[in-house]
Amino acid sequence: MEQLAKQKIIQDLLPQKFGKQGKIWVAGLIVLCIIGVVAYIRQLSKGLVVTGMRDYVSWGIYISNFVFFVAISLVGSLITAVLRLTNVHWSTPLTRIAEIIAVSAITFASLIIIVDMGRPERFYNLFLHGRLQSPIIWDVIVITTYFFISILLLYFPLLPDLKIMLEVKKGFSKGMLKFYSYLGSFWKHTPGQIKLSEKAIGILAVTIIPVAFSIHTVTSWLFATTYRPGWDSTNFGAYFISGAFLVGAGGVVVAMYVFRSHYNLKEYITYDHFDKMGKVLVMLALLYLYFNVNEFLVPAFKMKKPEEEHLRGLFTGEFAPIFWFAITTSMLVPILILITKKGRRPFPAFIAGVLVVIGSWFKRYIIVTPTLLHPFLPMQDVPANYKHYFPTWEEWAIAIGSLAGALLVITIFARIFPIIPIQETITEKEEHEKALS
Amino acid sequence: MKKHYHRILLAIFGLLPLLMMAQNAEKNSLSLTLKYFNNNNQTQYLVVQAKSKIDGKFQQIPNIPISFYIASETVKENLLGKAITNEKGEASLLIPPTAKAAWIKTINPNFIVVSEATKKFDEGRGDVTITKAKIKIDTADGRVINATVMAMKDSIWVPVKGVDLSIAVKRMGGNLNVNETQTFTTDSLGAVTAEFKRDSLPGDATTGKLTLIATVTDNETYGNLTAEIPAVWGNKCNYNAEFDRRTLFARRGHSPIWLELMAYGIILAVWGVLLYLIIQLRKIIKLGA
Repeated sequence: MEQLAKQKIIQDLLPQKFGKQGKIWVAGLIVLCIIGVVAYIRQLSKGLVVTGMRDYVSWGIYISNFVFFVAISLVGSLITAVLRLTNVHWSTPLTRIAEIIAVSAITFASLIIIVDMGRPERFYNLFLHGRLQSPIIWDVIVITTYFFISILLLYFPLLPDLKIMLEVKKGFSKGMLKFYSYLGSFWKHTPGQIKLSEKAIGILAVTIIPVAFSIHTVTSWLFATTYRPGWDSTNFGAYFISGAFLVGAGGVVVAMYVFRSHYNLKEYITYDHFDKMGKVLVMLALLYLYFNVNEFLVPAFKMKKPEEEHLRGLFTGEFAPIFWFAITTSMLVPILILITKKGRRPFPAFIAGVLVVIGSWFKRYIIVTPTLLHPFLPMQDVPANYKHYFPTWEEWAIAIGSLAGALLVITIFARIFPIIPIQETITEKEEHEKALS
Repeated sequence: MKKHYHRILLAIFGLLPLLMMAQNAEKNSLSLTLKYFNNNNQTQYLVVQAKSKIDGKFQQIPNIPISFYIASETVKENLLGKAITNEKGEASLLIPPTAKAAWIKTINPNFIVVSEATKKFDEGRGDVTITKAKIKIDTADGRVINATVMAMKDSIWVPVKGVDLSIAVKRMGGNLNVNETQTFTTDSLGAVTAEFKRDSLPGDATTGKLTLIATVTDNETYGNLTAEIPAVWGNKCNYNAEFDRRTLFARRGHSPIWLELMAYGIILAVWGVLLYLIIQLRKIIKLGA
């Protein structure tokens, strides 16, 4: 009986081939990526002049996108590390989803930084001649570190599942089996290996938390160490981290819904998971709202002249539509949806998650661009287009292409590997049954 | 007649754009202003500025090739040299030793600049005639500066009366007048006397040396003249160079020690953990072999 249950879990959770919808989805993402690459080739050949960025707005949607990617990558530490260390077992089916989102997002965060460079072939100079005093160098170091930790945190729990897939064989091509064998043929599930692996995962779970906090704190310092209206804040680290956890959790809820529906995982990603993640989202949205109030109320109370111009631009001026859209969709509406039990059912939670992710992307745009258009010294004797910023089609294509690329990585990962850890699910089920008997 | 009147008007309006185009196709005239400089009685050079009136405003014109002549531009041997105007519309030329004969021949040398016509501009010409002159500068007890303007007359230097000059101390980025008087005028002996009233000016590190400078600017007869003399009237000043200090704003490799310890400490600790985990992975691989 027990063996039957185990076989069912394995069959349910093994990676599945793409259906018609899956193929259309992948094709769509590939097309978006290709358009992005074409736009980038244009940018490489003609220079950054093809973008809408000029002397004042030198950080446009590329850097907004970068901050968004870094933010969403933090979910790896929230779901995998924080919940694991606090002995929260309900999150087990979500850990791999969170980790692949983290790996994919941090990869594209690194790429989008290179895209933002006018001379990417000189990137190596950052390592050869970087100043240790510069937050940009700290960001490079901490992103690289976070990437490696995330990869290891994805890899160690994957080892037992690789063994399962190598045993099952059926449904996998020779090439795939060779690939699995290369990655984990050494895993025999011996007590010694299990002990070492659990120890390693435990160490990684502890290590990833400070590194994750550092990665987004340092990203916030790229702004906060620059004396500008809207960025001149001592609160920026906490403000960024709370926002990052929110968008990451939103991303996981969206992914949970999509995988649950398309891979028929209703027994594994249950209403209870949406209910709990919904509550987590409400808590994180309220936390981020609190930091937003801090971030805007205090300068608005003092209304120093440069801050005044910046805040008026956000609240009632040129950026007001995007600002209020971001605040409403990333925090207010999701809170209203998820605060009720009905709202925490899969579909409403999915809608709330989508709103959080979209609103959070625009929130990053609001953090980066308006400040650059409100320097301390007046903008004089400059062409009219220096005083405004709107991304060109090349920028949109590259930004959308990078988002599509991140989704493509997650999609392909889910096609190759089990998106819910098989062995962990079996072990937990066995332990649960033992406890009951 | 009325019909014809309409036709004439139509023809005029029809031709107007063509006329305007023809006007646009016209080249702009180029104005060349030439100035003579004698720096510290050692270096004589010429500076020309190219300007043109475009859209009702005078604009500095870069990339104009200029030929400099002495005495006359028609004689090839009189060519002093060539230069091209920079982004400020300026070009300069040191008077070369090859012009010595022409220079000695007259006490009122005439310099000429010529530019050939380009696609956008007509040819340009400018000239300046000066009387050879120099400034003698000296210091006296009581922090007094004596300066005399001398001009050449019949092969001898004679003092010149009524020339305006400033007497200043050289500072970084400009000259600072030695007292509240902006400009002095030479007396019948061609001399001016100025009292040095600037206390506590930082001079060089060992003696407090300052450099005094007398300047005649844009004089119609003599051009631009300067003369310099050192004076130990400043404070000895040791400049504290920040360049090698370890600060947050210093260059690469000069970060504060505390930052280096902290940053490298964190990097080593975290990557040490990662290395340890890789070793654990190798152990897992060995156990499965």
